[in-house]
Amino acid sequence: MTTGDSESRLPPVPPVVAAEQLALEGETAAGTPPPPSLPGRERADTVRRILAYVGLILISILFFVPFLWSISTSLKSLPETAGFNFLPAHPSFRAYDSAITSFNFKRYFANSVFLATVVTMTNLFLSSLGGYAFARLRFPGRELLFMLVLGTLMIPNELRLVPIFQMLTDSPVFHLHLIGTYQGYFLINLVGATTLFLMRQYFLTIPKDYEEAAKLDGAGYFKTYRRVMLPLAGPALAAVTILTFQGTWNDFFWPLIIFLGDESKYTLPLGLFQFRTQYQTLWPQLMAASVIAIVPIALIYVFFQRYFIAGVTAAGVKG
Amino acid sequence: MATRARTDEKTLGSEKLREALVGYGFILLPLASFFVFSIYPLIYALYISYFDWGALGKIDNVGFGNYREIFDDFLFRKALKNTLLYTAVVVPCQMALGLSMAVIVNQALRARTFFRAAFYFPSLASSAAITAIALYLLSSDGLLNSIIGSVRGETYAHSWFGESSTALQSIMGLNIWTTSGTMMLFYLASLQSISTDVYEAAAIDGAGSWRTFWKITFPLLKPGHFFVAVISVIGSLQIFDQAFFVSGGGGGPNYSTMTIVLYLYNTAINEVRFGYASAVGIVLFVIIFTLTLGQRLLFGRAESA
Repeated sequence: MTTGDSESRLPPVPPVVAAEQLALEGETAAGTPPPPSLPGRERADTVRRILAYVGLILISILFFVPFLWSISTSLKSLPETAGFNFLPAHPSFRAYDSAITSFNFKRYFANSVFLATVVTMTNLFLSSLGGYAFARLRFPGRELLFMLVLGTLMIPNELRLVPIFQMLTDSPVFHLHLIGTYQGYFLINLVGATTLFLMRQYFLTIPKDYEEAAKLDGAGYFKTYRRVMLPLAGPALAAVTILTFQGTWNDFFWPLIIFLGDESKYTLPLGLFQFRTQYQTLWPQLMAASVIAIVPIALIYVFFQRYFIAGVTAAGVKG
Repeated sequence: MATRARTDEKTLGSEKLREALVGYGFILLPLASFFVFSIYPLIYALYISYFDWGALGKIDNVGFGNYREIFDDFLFRKALKNTLLYTAVVVPCQMALGLSMAVIVNQALRARTFFRAAFYFPSLASSAAITAIALYLLSSDGLLNSIIGSVRGETYAHSWFGESSTALQSIMGLNIWTTSGTMMLFYLASLQSISTDVYEAAAIDGAGSWRTFWKITFPLLKPGHFFVAVISVIGSLQIFDQAFFVSGGGGGPNYSTMTIVLYLYNTAINEVRFGYASAVGIVLFVIIFTLTLGQRLLFGRAESA
């Protein structure tokens, strides 16, 4: 555990472990090194290893068949879906064409990209700035306010539904009407407590020497944050980016509440829902649309797995 | 000399003040956002849960009336029953599957990073997309029925999500599949916090791997178990996306997929009973808060032990 005023009060649960592992250059959650083997133990080891591989392969099949099957279906024609062929007889992208052109998935895709990008940017800025303040600057009530921030994680989304719905329909004081607007969505998602927590934990692991050098050069707090702390926080910023982007991309709950009824604002999950209620058995098109919704996140995952996994584990503080 | 010391103190004092002001400035927007969109909603929801509150605002002060009504409400009880049943099945399965996968992936195996990535994959896909896939696989002419049919040697056309006897169970299966990977990651982080010295000692004592797991690893994972259990319970109690997607929002067939949050959504958005919906939210919040607090206390004990 790193040192820090409030650190001793936090249990070494997975989120804290993960935030610190992010600071190390190695693999996150890669596994414990094997115990030293003793003579005469090799046979038991071999058996254990074979069992482990069998388990791995069985679980992998179980986990992947649904995805492979849906990809395969998205390349089939509707009559062919009734069959049991794993590979489509005449693979074609017709279902993708039809999903993109006739069901406005282009628009949903653009909306998803737009929402996820903006929310990611505000989260990056506000959580790193706030995280820096909570980790480094001294001000009265700091620990209490941080506990309060963490405490908001216990307030479930459903409880916020009615108040936020009312607030966005007719905001107190300013009387804004933000239901059905992108602004409404951005406003309630400016910054998350999990990303703030992740940034703070990460900043705590950075040695203070760097800032002291900047201080001697006469740099102010904002300059120190921008020139010294941010460049050192690459892995944490990557984790926040991925976590927020994925969370917004997949978000079903708030777009449903804010955008339902206005099809031009739909994101991919809402588009899928609409598709499912209106055209439910056009399986190739529905599977094509699902594949479109999954692929971007899957690609990010393939390339930035390490940050993904550390971010998700650290975000486990949400609950 | 004395004057100099005083000025030093003064600049030091103003420097401290500056640091504090900058600190407050940096956290201002995040804090404002948490106050307006989390803390205020909590207080507001608590307040209007004591009123009959409609689209145009306050109708009547009903005191605990909403809360009394909740427990006499057939649909709420159905939703509560479904949600608790769902939680009771999904949590143990997720924990067992998550732990098994973590232990396997934690072995010194080739390609373990690949397998870890593969197991986590279903967790990162959009709930809507993955539910659409499940709808297809479990439809009456879907893959599952084809497999059952070919094993039995006759056509099998059960609509898993369409029949009230299997709809909720199908959602259980769906979420055990998709979120066990997340539990695996939490368990992996916990497994890593166990010192390797313990395993070395066990190996020298000649303990087999099965014994080592149950006698050493499993008990040492105590904080991990609590953590995963609480995350899993909280997530399960809040089940919404899949139930909404599968039933088109209505909780059907025959209310078999009606969950607490789905019920809350319907009373708030469709029936515009804001006070009553908030009371439902408060009941769920109390359940979740109690469990989280319980986790804190248990953690405290696990730490000091």
